[in-house]
Amino acid sequence: MRARRDRVVGGAATPYGISQAATDNRQAGADTTMSRVSIRTARASLAALAAGALFLTGCSSGGGGDDTKKDEKAKQQGQDVSYTFADEAASKGPAPEVKGGRKGGTIKVLQRDSFAHLDPAQIYVSDEGALAELIHRGLTTYKKVSDDKYEVVGDLATNSGTKSDGGKTWTYKLKDGIKFEDGSAITSKDIRHSIERTFAPFVTEGPTFIQQWLADTGGTDYRKMLKDGPYKGKHLPDDVLETPDDKTIIFHFKKPQAELPYALAMAGYSVVSEKKDTKEKYDKKPLCSGPYKIASFKSGKSMKLVRNSEWDPKTDPARHQYPDAFNIQFGVSFEDSTKRLMSDAGENQTATSFTNQVDASSLQKVRTDPEIKKRTVGGFQSYVSYLNINMDRIKNKKVRQAIAYAIPNQSIVSAFGGAGGGEMAGNYISPTLVGHKKTDPFNKLKNPQGDVEKAAKLLKESGKKGMKLTFAYQNAPEWQQFAVAATQNLEKAGFDVQKKDIIADTYYDQIGKVKNGYDIYHNSWGADWPSASTVVPNLFDGRQIQDGAANYSHHKNPKFEKEMDRIRSMSDANKAADEWQKLADKILTEDVPAVPMHYYKAMQISGSKIGGMYFDERLHDINPTSLYVKK
Amino acid sequence: MTSTSQTAAADGADTPGPDGAGLSSTRVAKEADLAGRSPGQLMWMRFKRDRTGVVSACIVLAFFLIAALAPLISKLYGKDPYTRYGQLRPDLLNENFYPVKPNGGIDGEFWFGLEPGLGRDVFTQLLYGIRNSLALAVIITLLSVLTAIVIGVAGGYFGGKVDYFLGRFTDLMMSFPNQLFFVAFTPVVAALLVDPRDEMPTWLRAGVLVYVMWLLGWMTLARLLRGQTLSLREREFIEAARVAGTPSGRIVRKELLPNLVTPILVQATYMLPNNVTAIAGLSFLGVGLLEPTPDWGRMFAKGAEIYQSDITYMFFPGGAMVIFILAFNLLGDSVRDAFDPKSGR
Repeated sequence: MRARRDRVVGGAATPYGISQAATDNRQAGADTTMSRVSIRTARASLAALAAGALFLTGCSSGGGGDDTKKDEKAKQQGQDVSYTFADEAASKGPAPEVKGGRKGGTIKVLQRDSFAHLDPAQIYVSDEGALAELIHRGLTTYKKVSDDKYEVVGDLATNSGTKSDGGKTWTYKLKDGIKFEDGSAITSKDIRHSIERTFAPFVTEGPTFIQQWLADTGGTDYRKMLKDGPYKGKHLPDDVLETPDDKTIIFHFKKPQAELPYALAMAGYSVVSEKKDTKEKYDKKPLCSGPYKIASFKSGKSMKLVRNSEWDPKTDPARHQYPDAFNIQFGVSFEDSTKRLMSDAGENQTATSFTNQVDASSLQKVRTDPEIKKRTVGGFQSYVSYLNINMDRIKNKKVRQAIAYAIPNQSIVSAFGGAGGGEMAGNYISPTLVGHKKTDPFNKLKNPQGDVEKAAKLLKESGKKGMKLTFAYQNAPEWQQFAVAATQNLEKAGFDVQKKDIIADTYYDQIGKVKNGYDIYHNSWGADWPSASTVVPNLFDGRQIQDGAANYSHHKNPKFEKEMDRIRSMSDANKAADEWQKLADKILTEDVPAVPMHYYKAMQISGSKIGGMYFDERLHDINPTSLYVKK
Repeated sequence: MTSTSQTAAADGADTPGPDGAGLSSTRVAKEADLAGRSPGQLMWMRFKRDRTGVVSACIVLAFFLIAALAPLISKLYGKDPYTRYGQLRPDLLNENFYPVKPNGGIDGEFWFGLEPGLGRDVFTQLLYGIRNSLALAVIITLLSVLTAIVIGVAGGYFGGKVDYFLGRFTDLMMSFPNQLFFVAFTPVVAALLVDPRDEMPTWLRAGVLVYVMWLLGWMTLARLLRGQTLSLREREFIEAARVAGTPSGRIVRKELLPNLVTPILVQATYMLPNNVTAIAGLSFLGVGLLEPTPDWGRMFAKGAEIYQSDITYMFFPGGAMVIFILAFNLLGDSVRDAFDPKSGR
């Protein structure tokens, strides 16, 4: 899922980037995209989910304490977070009570951006993803079992999926008593319809993984399979998507797809009513299936969510229905929401935000004032920032190594607000992903300020001392600040750095051009689900080089492409995860197409009367369904 | 200078009323004739008696001195405005990259503390920021004043079509919004003059800044001077010069300009602090001088961003700016009073 973050900007790669930027009228259309790839069942450990994990008690907003110490402790212990595909027992509702949880009250929600889409099939960014938690349901979802343990459980389905035929066939059975807000029962026909309508031409914003897997094609070729979606009487053939009865759905893939339960948990694959589908208009007025429904929505101004009386807690293993209503207000900047929630006055006491973070400049105050700090939660996001080296322009490996050594990773962390905003990266794989290891081939962690001497030496050996290096960066405070530090180091190492600041809105369009004319430029990328299969191929597969694609470094190496294909077809998730990490490190050391800079972290704050707040690692935000209003 | 006390007493006595002042100042002038005082000297004497003016002048001078000597001061102080002390030395900033020590990290080593984030030295940043801002402001003011003199005096002196043409030109230039023009103009210049692979050099950026602010900054003074010239031109001494066949150039230089010194000087002392704030405003908006060039206005922007966590950082650039602008404006008032004791009050 792409998250929209203030100033931070993730790769608006893929076709979604453009419309995304259009919806983001404020500064920096920040989103990080992710992607698809192969699969594996998963029981995997996420190394060092550190900071957040410890005070994610999932039950109350308390738990302040000294963050620094906790950070260190978490790091030392190598806190792991694991994901499991759960069975029927774990998928049964109701969700375990949140400690202290009580019904009633209204929660005020401060959001920066209005929701551009309400139709599940069009939902991809994290703002809408958070909303979808409350109003939409899909076949699977995530459930937090303990601080460091998540399960992928059946949501509408009775379990996370039964695979057969080596992972090529997946069978789902629907639960009893699942209904839309109008009282009509959710059947396998609705699920089938929800999948089929993602082939329709008007669905352009949502994820495309399952469509591509079903059609066994890349890009948008899958649309040929069902040109008009299900609207003109055509359906996917039974050997692709089968619904033998009202309760059963069977997916048939050409290749093993072990990560299907992850993909189905995306908001983009939530259920849409076949009978009440209004096509394009559904985006404004969807039929809700989650614990809340939309009472009113004024785009750009406000939204009110009220209880959905047709939602049966006994069918839902992960969601709660504590407050009577959510009043969402749009147009509140990160600075404003942080200040309002910090003040904790009046209605701000029962206010929170789904995705607004504590802005970088307030982190110091928030993290040092104990009264405020106990009302915050934080943790890693799946995004990683990279400094891409344009391999079409810089062909000398020693020069690339010199750049990699010279970059001060600590300066990017400092620009994002310090320990609360990120952690230095040693390699390409985020700590939120299965298989992450704390490798550090370029000693970025040992030398937080870069190794300028080594860089200078390498540059001298390459014979390119004094070469011109065009450094493009986004014209936003964080990147400007980082650019100052990076330029200083690169110049000390012997480069003639030419900084080019690019307007935030068009930054990703500019660097996305294959012939962009720049030598080094940053991008941020995160995975769609906790697997590196949605990271490495997107960033480094030479076959994917095209305008707007995420391989910003234009890295091409047939040897590694073969390796990617091999890992993708592996059936053992844990082994594959390790292989991705190894491959990523190999690419980093052998080709140096990009310098890993930092792993994003986020901090969020609520009013003092909000309970049940915890940081959900896979949403990388507060989980809205466990919130309640304290007495 | 034996008669100083006498004149002082005499002058002191003439403050009550404008008429009295006029009368007595002619008397003083008569007395002064004996001592051989020029109008300039008179002005200087009046100015010296204005305590606010003198203090302001000292402050303003100090600012210029600091600006001029910034490299020397920074050398003696042992720091420069570019090095990221806080990042290179682990003990200075905390994990949120704010100074570990209270009050923005002020200590014997970093007199004004450290910049949160990059950890640069605030004192030298401010020194160089003042230096850059003042240098730009002085250049812009000089250019604007010169342009205003040429256009204003030419319009007023020649009259007729020349005046009409120059007058409309002045109106036209006045209709441009200064800051917006700069924001729009800079990328155009960059696209025209700078290779897309290259960064816009700082001197060019500064050049564009000066050019735009100069281009849009001379009109008020030009209009004022035109009006003054228009009335002076009809005076007898100019007529006499004309009748005597004095060339226009000489009339302007020897007859007109000396009579225009007062408005020019007074206006210039208002214009300069205005330019300083305008430059700071552009930097605050992020379109002035860019990192890593130290800049006064950008320090405000940073200060405004972090004021909740580190109010001290805002204090120094803000305080310096307030003191400077206040002193300069008071100086302007005093200069005007000294030149023309009848006006004002």
